[in-house]
This record gives sequence, structure tokens and C-alpha cells, in this order.
Amino acid sequence: MSSHKRKELIRMGLRSLLGYPMRTVLTMLGVVFGVGSVIAMLALGAGAERELLQEIGRLGIQNIIVNSITPEKPDEAEARGGYISFFGITFRDHRQIIDTIPGLDSALPVHISKKKVWWGSKFLESSVFAVKPEHLQLFGLEAAVGRTLTSSDEETLSRVCVIRSGLLEELGIYEDPIDLPLNINGEIFRVVGVLEDENFQGYARKALVVDSRSSEIYVPYNTILKRHGTRSISGSGSTGDWVATDVELNQIVISVEDLDQVLITSRMIDTLMAKNHPEKDYEMVVPLEVLAQRRKTQQVFNLALVAIASISLLVGGIGIANIMLATVTERTKEIGVRRALGARRRHIIAQFLTETTTIATIGGAVGVLVGMLLVKLLTLFTGWSSAITLSSILLSLSISMAVGIMSGIYPAKRAAALDPISALRHE
Amino acid sequence: MSGDIITLSGVHKYYGETEPRLHVLRGIDLAVAEGEFISITGTSGSGKSTLLNLLGCLDIATEGQYRLSGQDVSDCSDDDLSRIRNEDIGFIFQSFNLIPQLNVIENVQVPLLYGSRSVSENTQHCLDVIDSVGLSHRLDHRPTQLSGGECQRVAIARALVNNPAVLLADEPTGNLDTNTGEEVLALIDDLHQQGRTVVMITHDKEVADRAERRVYLRDGQILEGSAD
Repeated sequence: MSSHKRKELIRMGLRSLLGYPMRTVLTMLGVVFGVGSVIAMLALGAGAERELLQEIGRLGIQNIIVNSITPEKPDEAEARGGYISFFGITFRDHRQIIDTIPGLDSALPVHISKKKVWWGSKFLESSVFAVKPEHLQLFGLEAAVGRTLTSSDEETLSRVCVIRSGLLEELGIYEDPIDLPLNINGEIFRVVGVLEDENFQGYARKALVVDSRSSEIYVPYNTILKRHGTRSISGSGSTGDWVATDVELNQIVISVEDLDQVLITSRMIDTLMAKNHPEKDYEMVVPLEVLAQRRKTQQVFNLALVAIASISLLVGGIGIANIMLATVTERTKEIGVRRALGARRRHIIAQFLTETTTIATIGGAVGVLVGMLLVKLLTLFTGWSSAITLSSILLSLSISMAVGIMSGIYPAKRAAALDPISALRHE
Repeated sequence: MSGDIITLSGVHKYYGETEPRLHVLRGIDLAVAEGEFISITGTSGSGKSTLLNLLGCLDIATEGQYRLSGQDVSDCSDDDLSRIRNEDIGFIFQSFNLIPQLNVIENVQVPLLYGSRSVSENTQHCLDVIDSVGLSHRLDHRPTQLSGGECQRVAIARALVNNPAVLLADEPTGNLDTNTGEEVLALIDDLHQQGRTVVMITHDKEVADRAERRVYLRDGQILEGSAD
């Protein structure tokens, strides 16, 4: 069949559809809603995946974070009376990591302590992060006002701090925060910058031990370590008992040069840490690994959603096949006439396949629009994030085209197999 | 004979696979010359429809040979029969058999669709053929919007569009009143005058008398001349 003839046959098929506009539209509906729900499900899945990437990706997929954790069973008996609880990552661990683990960009120590921060007569128990200046850069934390920490702050043991805007709110500071003196545990620190309001969400917040009020204070690592040491005491005033904890480092943020080496490096660090800490008072956070796991879960979930949506597409296809079968009976006479006028079996097949494929493809295209609308409404009313990808549109369109062909094959064959003489006599 | 468009020799048609088979056509010998207008009459059950199906290449004979414009169609495949119907035969049916959702010009174009000629390049030809049956003013009407006589004219235009060797008319006036029937017969007469070969099957003696040659079919056999 020449391409020219094929075009004419296709046009004839389309012409037939226009002959029955109502039936055509109704037949289309199944595919419209089938494709619409597939588009919506794919969009919601893609949205969830993107959110996941944003949440965990904030930690940096080339990073490995080691956190100190409180040992599982604190000794109750010994806790009574003056007792200092030593646990967590030590300076020695940090040194060993730097000395023995290959391929590291950096291994930044972090010491976190809860300290009372005073402004005038108000105070707030805030997390004070003693960090190297690179720490803020590593997580893309930039100053909205003023500046961040510098290496000269480190060298001169400056009493400066960078704060988050939440602290200003909590302490009720409404004036220009730059150069404000904050009293941290009895020592005055000068505010040099306020970080941009960019919050860590969900998993990332937990992994970085950042508090939810975003009122952390970042101070130069050396300043805190040299001036305050690592011990923090929380007394219980009524009995005179006190409990102190001495955690040398709360966190090491390790950045691996080569993305491919992240997992193996994390295992090496874990082995090293496990040897030094049989009591397991540390935890490893590997964003890359977490991302992979979460993504896998999300993809299984997405697949299930799409599978469910596909069922409605399948039902749409069955709808087309059903109507077309009825059409074959209804149009037996027409088929007989066409055969008498010289239509071969394959012309009849081509006509029916053109009709079903057109119904399904136009239904698919309308379905894409319906799906987009559905996604818009869902996003508007539920706040779920969504992303309509080009690939999901192409996928839906090609599936609906395939549905059209599949649902047309049987009716078309039935039509072509009709005996021209009896078809012609059919009333 | 070289001038014969249609030659049937010793044609038998049986129905059914197992004995006793229904023996419908019992040795038909018939030759139709080019440009001839022949009518075939017969009572119901005489084998008229079966003969029509054979002549129209909708069916093949069980025994015997059928040559249509020099070509033996006795053993043709389904596709070949379709091609022959498309190129060599112009059907005119009792109930017109127009396709209801297509308008006049589209109905006339249907045979072009299944042939080798392009539909779009032969639009003028279609218009000419429609003009020759006097329906130029009804081009975008649907069959339901036309009278019976007009429908039959559209069907004749459709039969002519591929310039077939034979016009095969099956009771062309059966669904028409006397006046419109007369118009349609006049049109067929005209076509014959222009040199078309026409085979008309009818049970109506008056209609059959319009042909220049009449054959009578009885019990599956041909009798030349009138029945009476």
C-alpha cells in the first residue's frame, strides 16, 4: 500500500468517526480518564521524588555525617551525685579519620552545646554550633545580612557569631542585629551575620541535629573549644546533684572527593569508628545511601500508583473494543458494501484500526489535559508537590495509542472476516 | 470469442460441504459481448442471486470456468477478487447500498479508495461522473437527505467511477416507484447507448424487456429468449 493510499484510508477512517460524533466521544471517555489518572499519578510520584531529592540532597550526596549519640543505657546508679558522662566522637577519631581514610576533601569537626543566650533580661537555651568556616559553605548556608565565619575568626579566637533569624524572633530583637552583643554563657559574642532563612526539612534536620525553631548560633570552632572546653553541665538545682556530659565532638562532616567512593568510604569510617567505640555511641548518616533507599521505596510506591491508574486505562481500552464490536455488527451492511466495491480484508482492518487508534489517541491527548488539570487541583487543595514530566506525557500517549491498536485488532478481524455476500444481505 | 466481456462455460454451483449438497447452478453457459445490454430473469429460487454473486466476483463457481474481460477468475484469491470487483465491475443494487454517514461525493469516491488511483487527484473525475447522472446540486447531501431515485443515481455514479468493464445491476428499480424507476432505466439505457456493457438481473418482465437481449434462468439453467 503506498503511503498516499494509506493517508486516504486513514482519512476515510476519520470520516467514519465524524459520522457518529456522540458515540465517538463516549467511547473516548474511558481512555480520557484512564490517561488522566496515569498522568496524575506519575506527576504526584515525580513530585514526591523531587521533594525527597531536595530534602536529602540538602545534606550533600558527597558528604558523610558522623553524629555522636548518647549511649543506650546510662548508668542510673552512677548518675546520682557528681558524675561526668563521657561519650561520643573524640578528637582522636577525627584525627584518625583524617590520617587514615583516603580520598577525603575535608573532615570538619563540629561541637554542639546547649547554652543559655541572654539579650538584656531575656534568655534562650540555644544550640551553639562550634564550626569551621568551611562548614557553612559546605551546606550552602549564606549570610542574608552581614557575613559568615572566616578563617581569621578561627585564628584570632574571635568572639563572634552568626545566627539564624529564629533567634532574633525568640529574643524579641527587632533592631539591626549586626554588632549586637549576645551573652552566651557569660561571655559576650558579637553578631556578625544572620543566615538566610533556608530551613532543613525532615530527615536533613534530624541528621544535622539542627533545631526546629531555627535559632542555632554558629561560632568559630576554636573560640569555643579553647575558651569553653567541651564539657557541659546540667544541674538539677533542688537536690544539688548535677550531671555533666563531656562530648568532645558531636559531629564530623566528611566530604568525599569522588562520588563513586562515598559508600566505600563510609564503610571504612564505620569500621574505624566501630573499633574505637564498641559501645556504639555514634551513628553514620550517609545521604547518598538514604537517598537511594528512599528513592527505591518511592519508586515502588509510584509503580503501584501507576499500576492502579493503568487499570482504568485498561478498562477504557476494553470499552473501545466493546463499542467497536457492537459497531461491527451494526455496520455489517456497510462492510459488505465496501467489500463489494473492492475493499480487501486489510482495507477493512485498516479502517477499524484507524478508528480505534484515533479514538484512543485523541482520548489520550484529552486525558493528558485532564490529568494536568487534576494535578493542578490536587496541588492546590492538598499542597502535595507534583511534577508533570515530558516523559510521562509521551508514555501516556504511546500507551493510549497501543490501547487503541490492541482494542481494535479483534473487532477489525471480525469485520474483515465477514463474508461479503451475507454482509451485503444483512439488514 | 474475442468480443466477449463475460464467458461462463459449464458453471456449476453447489452449496454445502456434505451430501446431499444443494445444486443451485446446473451447467451455465453464457457469453456477453462488449457493449451488450442483457437482462437475466427468473423466479425466486431459480439461482438468480447465486449467478449474480458469481458474475460479481463475490463468489466463485464450484465447477466450470468464468472469464471476465479475458481473465479467468475461477480460482482467484480473495484479494484478487476484491481487485477485480473494484476495477471491472460496477454494482448497482436494489437497495442502493450507499454508506449513510458519507455524503454524495464521498460515496462516489469509495471505489477509488480501494483502487490504485488517488482519490484527491480524481476529484474532478468524480464531479464529472456525478454531473453525468445529474446530481451536481446534491454534492454534500447525505443519502438520508435524498429521494430513492437520487440515491440510485448516486449508486450508478459510484458504479461508473472506476470505469468498469461491466455494469451489474441487481433489481435496480425494485425499490423505486414507476416514474423514478423509469428515470433510472432511462439512465441505464443511456449508458448502454454510450457503449457500456450492462447485465441486469430482475424478476420484472417489463424491466427485463428494456434489454436488447433477454435470458431466462430456470432451475439453475439458462434459457435464451423470453420465458413465455
